[in-house]
Amino acid sequence: MNSLLNTPTDPFVDGYAAIKPLLDIEGLPFFSSLREQAIRSYQEFGIPTRRDEEFKYTSLRALQEKKFKFGFGANVDREDLVNFTLGLIEAFTVSFVNGQYAPELSSHDHLPKGTYVGTASEAPTELHGAIEAQFGKIASLQGRLGSTNDERFVALNTAYLGEAAVVYIPKGKTFGQPIHLQYITSDVSNGTYSTPRVLIILEENAEAKVIESFVTLKGFGFTCPVTEVRLAASARLEHTRYQDESLDSTHVSNTYIYQETKSIYTSNNINFGGEVARNDINAFVDGEYCETWLNSANVGLGNQVIDNHTRIDHAKPNCQSFEVYKTILKDKAEGVFNGKIFVYEDAQKTDAKQTNQAILLSPTATMNTKPQLEIFADDVKCTHGATIGQLSEDALFYLRARGVEKSRAESLLVYAFAAEVLEKIQVPAVKDALEARLFDKLA
Amino acid sequence: MLTISNLHASVEEKEILRGVNLTVKAGEVHAIMGPNGSGKSTLASVLAGKSDYDVTEGSVDFDGKDLLELDPEERAAEGLFLAFQYPVEIPGVTNTYFLRSAVNSIRKYRGQVDISAKDFMALVKVKAAMMELDPSMLSRSVNEGFSGGEKKRNEIFQMAVLEPKLCVLDETDSGLDIDALKVVANGVNALRSPERATLVITHYQRLLDYIVPDFVHVLVDGRIVKSGGKELAFELEAKGYDFIKEELAAKA
Repeated sequence: MNSLLNTPTDPFVDGYAAIKPLLDIEGLPFFSSLREQAIRSYQEFGIPTRRDEEFKYTSLRALQEKKFKFGFGANVDREDLVNFTLGLIEAFTVSFVNGQYAPELSSHDHLPKGTYVGTASEAPTELHGAIEAQFGKIASLQGRLGSTNDERFVALNTAYLGEAAVVYIPKGKTFGQPIHLQYITSDVSNGTYSTPRVLIILEENAEAKVIESFVTLKGFGFTCPVTEVRLAASARLEHTRYQDESLDSTHVSNTYIYQETKSIYTSNNINFGGEVARNDINAFVDGEYCETWLNSANVGLGNQVIDNHTRIDHAKPNCQSFEVYKTILKDKAEGVFNGKIFVYEDAQKTDAKQTNQAILLSPTATMNTKPQLEIFADDVKCTHGATIGQLSEDALFYLRARGVEKSRAESLLVYAFAAEVLEKIQVPAVKDALEARLFDKLA
Repeated sequence: MLTISNLHASVEEKEILRGVNLTVKAGEVHAIMGPNGSGKSTLASVLAGKSDYDVTEGSVDFDGKDLLELDPEERAAEGLFLAFQYPVEIPGVTNTYFLRSAVNSIRKYRGQVDISAKDFMALVKVKAAMMELDPSMLSRSVNEGFSGGEKKRNEIFQMAVLEPKLCVLDETDSGLDIDALKVVANGVNALRSPERATLVITHYQRLLDYIVPDFVHVLVDGRIVKSGGKELAFELEAKGYDFIKEELAAKA
């Protein structure tokens, strides 16, 4: 393809040879071979177009046109953190600037015994085995159901894999404090790209609350994160991902979760930023009696495009999943929701509930929604509902009948629509900060 | 305070109210009773300004104002309060935030400054105690996950906070057990005053044992066909609505 004159070359392939040696000094030694395999698989596909089924509604032309440069470190001061909604929350914090670990913005010393929160290269040697056993294995759809599986951005992330963040909670341990993985873009080259990578392992009956935040200090960027989560039996994770990058940034993320018996995974996926924000969240539920909660609040204004793809593989019986995706769109903003649920032949008594709601505040805003249920077991309960519309007339009348002016009642209901998702966040400081940010975003 | 004259209203081209006349003075409690489908709830909704109903004829005067010309929020600010038959759940908005917005919107309409956070909380605490509402309810979303009884108590609690001139209770007794009914009735009675009027809309006489009306009106097929004192409610309870219909048929 690339030999045709009218086909532009791929900027992520062309510059690779020069960058690879710089990557190889980062992270753990086994990363090197992963990078080599990954650039080859990425090269097979390249930047997607709208002809690619999984990118039908979302143009990623910016990746071709904006000439992003690979991100190297930039100076960000602690005082700059005040600019970010979650910059000052109390948490064990690991920060990255343009994909580079930023120890001066991090605080993850004095960890409870046996736990680890930090970079892969600084992880204690006794954890290297566990890291290597999982790294890159969770973020894969190889051999899974589905005819349009598309893993090119996992490959791109892995090809440019530098340092990675690792969260490890051993058996039976409840990690009380929130863990904050903070990704800051501070543009140094008129478009900076970075490929954050996270591995979260909760051993049997462990519990944690992890927040990932993606923000921009200045300029714009392309952020292409991959997060892998492994929950052993009865482990419980609340995983909040907050993306609020600058309005000319591109964000394409992949989150993969692997769940064992009786584990509980809760995702709060919050998107307020980005010119184009695309998130894939894929949970593979491989044990009985698991719960998978996927919550999401999205606000798009101006020309923002927010595209969420979720996928739950129910591979074992007696599991429940609950999915609530909410999107507020105004001006010419576009939203996409694609929710796949696969119920495998063995997964009897699966109870899967998917809800997707959008509010369009102007006639030029658009929402594309596509629930996709593929069920191969016979004794299951799967429901999905999608509503795209305006505010509830009943709620509006109720507020007005109490004296609240129409315009104020409307903005209150728009706020409430998304705040309902934020309310579920179990870290009060994060919940409060995001609610305040939502209020500002809608003002 | 309230004068309803020859009020006709329809929903989706179907006429529900067919000439209602009613005068309510300050300090009075009026009960409107009637069988299902007689137009009781339509009357309540038309008074509050719900847009699903078209008023085709007649007028409503509320303390010298043409009520039908006002937006729902203006009616509330003028002092009309409707306790909903089916209170709406609003996830994401806490009761406190909701009520404070209501109080301040009404104050703004009346040219008053916002109530301070401290004064508001003090007010709300007193009224919540009166309605035997758990204070934790204040930080929960409006009506979300409330039982039927809690929703109705929350309506009267809001009424107590907003202190309207005219209280309209739309089937407030439906779905309440006897204990909840007493709490609701006590709340309503505590608000009775010479300056305030109450319109109780109900299917059953039961509520009127606790909120004793000065006048009882029977609404049938969109018209008030009979009015009397509180004893009319007992008669209806004993004989059912059929006796009214028979009386009407005999007259015709």
